[in-house]
Amino acid sequence: MPQISNPLLKKRQVLVQTIAAQLPPACVPEYLGSVPFGAVLRVERWRYPNGLTLLSCEDDCAPVFSYHSWVRVGSRHERPTKTGLAHLFEHLMFGETAELGQGDYDRLLEEAGAENNASTWLDFTQYTVNAPAGALSLVVKLEAERLAHLQLVDEPVAREKDVVANERRYRVDDDIEGATSELLWKTAFVRHPYRAPTIGWMEDIEGFTTEDCREFFKAYYAPNNLCLVVVGDFPLRKLLELVGKAYGELPSGELPVEDLWPELPQSEERRAELTKPTPTEKLTLGYHGPALGDAEHGAVNLLIEVLCAGRASRLVRRLVHDEELATDVRAFVGPFRDPGLIEISAVAREGVTAERLLASIDDELERIKREPVASDELERAQRRTELGLLAGLDTADGKASTLGFYETLLGRPAAAFERVENWQRLTPSDLLRAARRFFEPQQRTVVCVRSQQEANT
Amino acid sequence: MSQCIRFEVAGVPVILAPSAALPLVHVLVARRFGATTDPVDGAGLCRIAARLARRTAGGRALPAIEEGLDRMGASLVTDAGYSTVAFNGVTLKRSLGAYTELLADLLVRPSLDANEHERLLREARAELLEARDSDRALANRALRQTLFAGHPYGRSVSGTLASLPSLTLERVRQHHAEATQRSQFAIALAGDLDEAAARALVLRLVSDLPDGQSTAPRPPEPKAPTGRQLVLVDKPERTQTQIYLGLLGSHVEDPDHLALHVAATVFGGSFSSRLMQAVRVERGWSYGAYASLPVDQVRQAMTLWTFPKAEDCAPCVALQLQLLEELVDKGLTQRELTGARRMLSRSHAFAIDTASKRASLGLDALTLGLPADYYDHYVERINAVQLDEANAALRARLDPSRLVVAVTGTAENLRSGLEGVIPGLTSTQVLAYDSDTL
Repeated sequence: MPQISNPLLKKRQVLVQTIAAQLPPACVPEYLGSVPFGAVLRVERWRYPNGLTLLSCEDDCAPVFSYHSWVRVGSRHERPTKTGLAHLFEHLMFGETAELGQGDYDRLLEEAGAENNASTWLDFTQYTVNAPAGALSLVVKLEAERLAHLQLVDEPVAREKDVVANERRYRVDDDIEGATSELLWKTAFVRHPYRAPTIGWMEDIEGFTTEDCREFFKAYYAPNNLCLVVVGDFPLRKLLELVGKAYGELPSGELPVEDLWPELPQSEERRAELTKPTPTEKLTLGYHGPALGDAEHGAVNLLIEVLCAGRASRLVRRLVHDEELATDVRAFVGPFRDPGLIEISAVAREGVTAERLLASIDDELERIKREPVASDELERAQRRTELGLLAGLDTADGKASTLGFYETLLGRPAAAFERVENWQRLTPSDLLRAARRFFEPQQRTVVCVRSQQEANT
Repeated sequence: MSQCIRFEVAGVPVILAPSAALPLVHVLVARRFGATTDPVDGAGLCRIAARLARRTAGGRALPAIEEGLDRMGASLVTDAGYSTVAFNGVTLKRSLGAYTELLADLLVRPSLDANEHERLLREARAELLEARDSDRALANRALRQTLFAGHPYGRSVSGTLASLPSLTLERVRQHHAEATQRSQFAIALAGDLDEAAARALVLRLVSDLPDGQSTAPRPPEPKAPTGRQLVLVDKPERTQTQIYLGLLGSHVEDPDHLALHVAATVFGGSFSSRLMQAVRVERGWSYGAYASLPVDQVRQAMTLWTFPKAEDCAPCVALQLQLLEELVDKGLTQRELTGARRMLSRSHAFAIDTASKRASLGLDALTLGLPADYYDHYVERINAVQLDEANAALRARLDPSRLVVAVTGTAENLRSGLEGVIPGLTSTQVLAYDSDTL
């Protein structure tokens, strides 16, 4: 992180000295500097001796704060037969600790007016508490308590496995979109762990033991694998002291070496099908795309905007408006540490086949590889991304999510602004090059959903 | 954190929540003429009319409108509810002038073009078909149709495949003329603009609106269902079920409404609630278990939502009925009441932590016919709720002997089990998930 202007640096050095005079060395953070976060705010980086990173961003626009814990473990770190462990563990983190009985964590936060949540994805697990300004001590205490003293015992683990199995039925087994996405990634990836769903295969969820969970906790939930992000209305000195006291004595961990194989280039198109009780066919394409840190990730983002964002975009206008073949067309490029997929999905109208959708989509993808995007289209895509960035920063939680995500994935918490600024400088040539690099049929996977009703008739 | 400023422009109530935190302006326009005004044979009329206005603002073609919004860095969403139609959006501040012109054209000068109307109906039909993929939405629809049978709340805001063909262009134009009168509007603005700019913006939006005084008729009070009714939405191959339980709730003007709100929070409004603890934490049956008590012009439903696997469906319904009866019979404990009051009053900070939320909350009060400062005193009123009031409200407003259980699942695997765990069951309906009237 670049060094900052001297007055702030001096002020922070004094603050660290003040804390050092009162707390043991293990509880005193080192100040590593700050960078701007948008036009008004700054994000400051602190590191405790055990490797814990803290990003603080003071913002007094409302009397609330958001406290995020980002753990650098996701489903990419799981082994075959143990898929879904990172996600199950996220659930278990709300259980009993040495000091807290079952349900105490949620009850205490709720009574303080706080809301909490958590999520797991391919590259990370993150925990969120949004709380009124006066609840800082409670939040730090509870978050550190579960990191230090979580109790993993058989009965709650078994119950939570049932809950996760139900979540899987809800999100995947009885959900067409979820089932399609799972099949797409499983087919598109052969070696890389991105092929397994974050929620895990059902047989793996059912097979977890309490010992699996204990080993996972010991391996990954160490302070040197964690980044705290605190945004909003809080006294900085108090935050640094509270975090130091609560987390400072936790020992660093020996993090496992990541043992994964990169995905080999795909040399021919792959196809898969599902049949479901649904009135219409669906189509999803997955092209192997760029990693978040790839120089062309931004260009692909703008290509997605041009193709599928809003009703003026090429695919939506053609498939939904002009040809009336589809109800909905969407696209997405994975924001992942390793190369993920560029997904394009469409829901057909009654009587329209997935093949017919594919013909129109292919036509547009060939066009975007053949002709440069018009400057007006590019400008519209750039405005949309600017609006999207700003709208996502309305709340303390939105800011903390953005900071935590980019810190965890790229090591640059304010990268969201850098990225959108870079996107404003991209040209039609940049988009043309990215389209030709990624939209090649041999590096895609096609999943069609057939209607069971149609199949029966 | 600045508070809201309230004023009127040409008779239209306005709420402004200024904030220079981001270079954005949120514009929220509410028209108090919602789907309860849809004709009995014309479910979906209000929503189709609003969407058509959005797609033909100022005689523009839809692609031109969308391109214009993208160029501004703006969004504009139309949504119809039972009581109101909302035209909500946000724009980069530097595009506010162009955005205002577009919105004025939407409100005052939509062409309601015939070709676009036909296209919209085809699109709406496709969306209704697609909605059959959502088991949760199917259960919710079945619940409302049965619980509010014969009442406007029982009709679908989006219409049905059966009702869409009746929404002719003539009906849409007639509805638009009736619904678009200045007296029916309320507007909230939030973000980077001051009062003078806000007044000018609102004047531009409303000055050309017809000056009529008509108001949407208030719907009748809904009647509770006879006994307990079961409605099954039959869909093949379901490993899981989506369960909604519904019974009449309360109205925001009821003197005991907030007392009931606190009680409903204890029951199913948080992770620590009775429902979540019993269904998810103690038994692991469902990922979620929630109760909600929405408000509208007249008495709405209190609903419970869970989604257990098929084998656990009947026991889960039995458990919910038992918990509901215990809630009404025995009431809350003092500890539960205190916890819920603290949660609701302290978490209110998150209902007002951004300018757009503050503006939106004020607009909700206006459209519900509440005093404009209703939510300014919300915290004091929540903290004033006493145990005897909450327990009396439960007994007065909730009747667990008159409710509807709606389940999406594979009916042949569920029906007998469910009928066996619902004492006082008066009827069972089985609806095909692809029924044109659902």
